[in-house]
Amino acid sequence: MSDFLPGGRKLALVGLLFVLAPLPVMGSGYFVGVLSRTLLFALFAIALNIVFGHNDQLFLFMGGLGGIGAYTTALIADSVGVSAWLALPVAAVIAGLIGLSVSWISARRSFTVILISILTLNLQLVFSEAFIGARGLTGGSTGFPYELFTLSGIAEAAGVPTAVVIYYVILAFFLAAMVLYIWLINSKYGIAFEAIREDEMAAESIGIDVVRYKSIAGFIAGVIIAIAGTLLAREATYITPSIFTFLAVDVIALVVLIVGGIRQTYGPIVGAVIVEAIEAILGTYAANWRTAIFGALLILLFLYFRSGVIVKAQEFLEDRDVSLGGGNGGTAAVDTGGDG
Amino acid sequence: MVTISTLAALAVDGLAFGASLALLGVGITLVYGLGEVLNLAIGAFAVIAAILASLLIDQGMSLPVAIAGGLAFVGVFGLVVDRTLLSLVYRSDGEERILIGIFTTLGLTVLLEGVMVNYVSSQYSLPLGLDPIRVGAAVVTGTSVASIVIAAVVLAVLFLFLNRTFLGKATRTIFQDERGARLVGINPRKIRTLVFVLSVLVAGLAGVLAAARSNVSVATSFEFTTFALIVSIVGGVRSLVGAVVAGLLLGLINTMANFFVGSYFATIILFGAAIVFLLFRPEVMSS
Repeated sequence: MSDFLPGGRKLALVGLLFVLAPLPVMGSGYFVGVLSRTLLFALFAIALNIVFGHNDQLFLFMGGLGGIGAYTTALIADSVGVSAWLALPVAAVIAGLIGLSVSWISARRSFTVILISILTLNLQLVFSEAFIGARGLTGGSTGFPYELFTLSGIAEAAGVPTAVVIYYVILAFFLAAMVLYIWLINSKYGIAFEAIREDEMAAESIGIDVVRYKSIAGFIAGVIIAIAGTLLAREATYITPSIFTFLAVDVIALVVLIVGGIRQTYGPIVGAVIVEAIEAILGTYAANWRTAIFGALLILLFLYFRSGVIVKAQEFLEDRDVSLGGGNGGTAAVDTGGDG
Repeated sequence: MVTISTLAALAVDGLAFGASLALLGVGITLVYGLGEVLNLAIGAFAVIAAILASLLIDQGMSLPVAIAGGLAFVGVFGLVVDRTLLSLVYRSDGEERILIGIFTTLGLTVLLEGVMVNYVSSQYSLPLGLDPIRVGAAVVTGTSVASIVIAAVVLAVLFLFLNRTFLGKATRTIFQDERGARLVGINPRKIRTLVFVLSVLVAGLAGVLAAARSNVSVATSFEFTTFALIVSIVGGVRSLVGAVVAGLLLGLINTMANFFVGSYFATIILFGAAIVFLLFRPEVMSS
């Protein structure tokens, strides 16, 4: 296993932790929801880590792509009359192809990271307007109930609330994305990504097809984002354009990735645990100040904390001569977060 | 059937909207051209000026005093932001500075929106109380005409400042060659502060003019920012004349599209235009 998946044991540990996490709070729909959202934003952040962290392509239309995934899944399931389980892969591939096209065009025309961010921000706004405007398909800003994937049957058979089943579905996708990420980064793709990031020109000169690798990263990110978006709507059991706005998805996913640490394997999940913990505390004590605090967080993170929690924790431990082996700071943070 | 007079009225309204867009675009262009900080909080400054002016009127102040008060506040606030936040951004260089600039101003706009929602959560407007103006068969709103005139005067003054005064010439020198400017004894940081304050004042005016024609709310601020971005993409992020032309053009197109095909489609046309420009003329955002 560890040949195929370096650090597989650690991932299994994290997986086990999240398998057990709902048990103490099974009765509380609220906490199961918090856990689900944690994993969903970790998913968004994994996609962002691949495309931005490893490929310098700042996708600022994660909300839009997530919405494409969610709406397309519902529309296909509804109009073709198939199960949402069959519709989701199609929707994910469509979103993947959008990601691929953006990456392909950007790489072909050697767009800088700034240019890609502005291009995708504009696409995000187009998608947001389209979700509201295409009333016939999306129900406009009032939306429609989103209860696909026939999970309530499973929930009844297992004798647990539907929200718990949704949580485990999300967990399965999260673990799959983690396996994909770890495999990807340790494969020839990861080596190519690293070479391109260090020096695009040099990478090209030794025969690395920059456009191809960047497009692949865009495709994978698009697929993951679409799945996360669909599950985000399923978790909310109701779909509206407001779920998929720039502020609701992209800003949070960015904060999650930077808090956890960019290009860190466990950065997305560590960041998501911390951000959702902050979110839960704010929801209880200062709901009105949620947006303001996330804005301040974004500023402070980028000015002072760009290496993220995992790297900072490792530095902290090394300073005190506590050697726990690489990356234990990450698992420690997951532990405390998972219990809460 | 659309009559000529309707078209004329639409054109004037479109130009009035375009005037606000041009001001916002100029605000982005000034700061980006000078310090490579893409000010994604520009819409927040616009909204703050408009809302504050509206609140001052509620306190019994006259319209000009209230507008001056709103703009003055935004100017001082801009100065504070420049001396604190932007000073930190300017510590880095090149692509890193652009990226940090994007994230800090994005954070700032989220922060400001989040703070404002708690205090000023309704819709605000600044009715100028002007009568409609009759031009031949067409009737155009006085507010639209006033918007165009005010924006034109302010832009003219701004261009005169940049072209005729020493400070303005120093500014343009940094635009063209930062190192050269430093060699002849111009301090770029001071000029950047001046220009940032100027840019938020221009944006504040755009917000005030927008509030004169329709409602403005906290949620409008991100909309303004995106409009400003589109204008600078289409006009070229370093060209002031480009920003003005693009602003007017997009204002006209948006207003016409709004009338003929509906507002959602009009917005999509606006963003679509920006995407097309980015794809075919990406050099507008670099170089």
